[in-house]
Amino acid sequence: MKRRWRKSGLPLVAIGATLIVSSALAQSVDTARIEAAGQNDWLTYHGSYKSYHYSPLAQINASNVGNLGVAWIHIPGRSTRGLQSMPLAADGVLYYTGSYSRVFALNGATGEVIWSYFPELDEALIARQTHSPYNRGLALGEGKAFVGTMDGRLIALDMKSGKVLWDTKLIDSQKLTVGFTGAPLYAKGTVIIGSQGGEWPGRGPIFAVDAATGKKKWEFLTVAGTDEAMKSWGNDSWRTGGGGGWMPGTYDSETNTILWGTANPAPLYDWSGADYKTQGARPGDNLYTTSVIGLDLDTGKLKFYHQELPHDAWDFDSAVGEFLMLDRDGQKLVVHPNKSGFIFVYDRNLAVKNVWRLVENINFVKDIDPKTGALIGRRDFSAGKVTEPPLCPFIGGGVSWNSGSYSPKTGLYYKIGQEWCMTLDIQKTTPVTTPQVQLNIGADFKMAPPPGGEIYGHLDARDPVTGAKKWEVRYPEPPLGSVLSTAGNLVFVPDSRGTLHAYDAETGGELWNHSDGTGHQGGIISYSAGGKQYIAVVAGFGGMLSDEYAPNFGGVYKSMPRDDGALIVYSLK
Amino acid sequence: MKSQSNKITALRSALLGASLLCLTGLVQAQPATPAPENGTFDVEQLFAGTCGFCHSDGGRAAGKGPQLMNSPRDDDFLHNRIKHGKQGAMPAFDGALTDAQIDQIVKYIRALKPREG
Repeated sequence: MKRRWRKSGLPLVAIGATLIVSSALAQSVDTARIEAAGQNDWLTYHGSYKSYHYSPLAQINASNVGNLGVAWIHIPGRSTRGLQSMPLAADGVLYYTGSYSRVFALNGATGEVIWSYFPELDEALIARQTHSPYNRGLALGEGKAFVGTMDGRLIALDMKSGKVLWDTKLIDSQKLTVGFTGAPLYAKGTVIIGSQGGEWPGRGPIFAVDAATGKKKWEFLTVAGTDEAMKSWGNDSWRTGGGGGWMPGTYDSETNTILWGTANPAPLYDWSGADYKTQGARPGDNLYTTSVIGLDLDTGKLKFYHQELPHDAWDFDSAVGEFLMLDRDGQKLVVHPNKSGFIFVYDRNLAVKNVWRLVENINFVKDIDPKTGALIGRRDFSAGKVTEPPLCPFIGGGVSWNSGSYSPKTGLYYKIGQEWCMTLDIQKTTPVTTPQVQLNIGADFKMAPPPGGEIYGHLDARDPVTGAKKWEVRYPEPPLGSVLSTAGNLVFVPDSRGTLHAYDAETGGELWNHSDGTGHQGGIISYSAGGKQYIAVVAGFGGMLSDEYAPNFGGVYKSMPRDDGALIVYSLK
Repeated sequence: MKSQSNKITALRSALLGASLLCLTGLVQAQPATPAPENGTFDVEQLFAGTCGFCHSDGGRAAGKGPQLMNSPRDDDFLHNRIKHGKQGAMPAFDGALTDAQIDQIVKYIRALKPREG
């Protein structure tokens, strides 16, 4: 029978028919569809506007995950600083980006390339950039795929053909050498994207662009974006204040609000000492850096905010893009991890409801008041050495920028914590009064183990509101990739050494693992194509944090490439 | 340690100058002309501001970038690496720093010693 089918070409006809049917059934991706988060798709960076990084698919589950194997692989090429992006999936097609903003649309069942797009970039500019040329993902909406570039553009591609529909220059990247590495967010006819910032002496803009035309709708400056904020920067330091919002946040449709996390002020480290309100490189609270902000989607006006670390003197920013939207006992809550390793719980207007610790080694403050969010016992440095004790956590953070996962089935939040510290030599720097190229750090520094302990990373399963811990899995080096949980009672963790692990979501017991051949530092999703569930993960190491692994940890990291990567897709054998 | 010969005068301004040149499309710019806006700046401050982000402990230890203290590379190699960078690993400072300023950085690297205590 099989032989006859081959001869007759019937399977080809059947496949062709399937593609036609699936393309005919494909609906445009819009706000309602992203909000509904259908189980077969992964339509936005965080999975849906709820930011759960959770798949309701259960075909692959705790009882059969042992049969998981590689279905197909895609090599994007030119993976300088590895692969760091979050794939998306819509109607059986997988979309993802590689370094240099390369975009691919692949058949989700076979990996066959449907189209690819390699933008022509300003290579001379990219050669002058530090945080480059990786790309962390794209957005989908209105039949388009949106991607940012390192030379300051936002580009819309036709989802079906990859043809450029518009190409809008938003940042003069020559001026500061900053561009876009983070994924955009699509909501209600608008594409939001935040620029790099932080240690660059600029004002870190977040942009809204009309999805249909590519025209800029508004721009919000995360440094001194309002009159009130301007007053929180002494000596005109707002002119070079840093900021930015380089990871995508989310959209609250009930209030038509964009929730976004902002980056740190520049210089990263300040010599102010305890009198930071009047002394140092940037006297004052430095609004709206290291903050979570709520912007009106239509106007870009600031509606509410909470500055997680006033006058952040440690580079523990709020740029992490996760905003878990929870309903708990009649309360609508938002959970947002701060880079310091503290997890903030807010109401939908960003009023603090609780703060809890994900990581053990924190000493930049004694504590954060869980009722008000106020910092207690700040450690503000003067010029000179910081060694006893070292500053905890390390500049890599108690959490990194990749995302955790919340399972509505178990009610648990699965999140990677990082236990490491650093020594510093704070410099009394000459004030930088004008925007300039390159960075403004303000200290020499080096990774160090926690006092009396070793560096390690851990996956925690916790109550997202109270922080109560159910179980923990430890790793000798902190994993840097995102986490995925599924309705199949599974939690997937792609680790730094290159192993993808699957755990029982209730107990943390390891059920399966597989080597992807190189370290992970990007996204992982699940989707369905042709009725079959797939797990897609990007592998490929290198960049601002993973480059620290070879000199500090040796071992497998010494030979691990920092210019290579692959998308690996798994299904049941 | 911090000798007058290590000083790079108005380096910040040189960076600004370079950025302005770039704005006019001259990415492969001739050496930037230092101007006084951002004041005097020395190599130690340059490391704490920019280089030290990757070259840990002021260049004394390996971090994202290699250790520079006791580098086996010769001066020409270091000069060229600072000027032209390395794709995916180190940015090019051509246009942001003059050759004379890069030479000052090489001198700083050669003089690096372990920290006391």
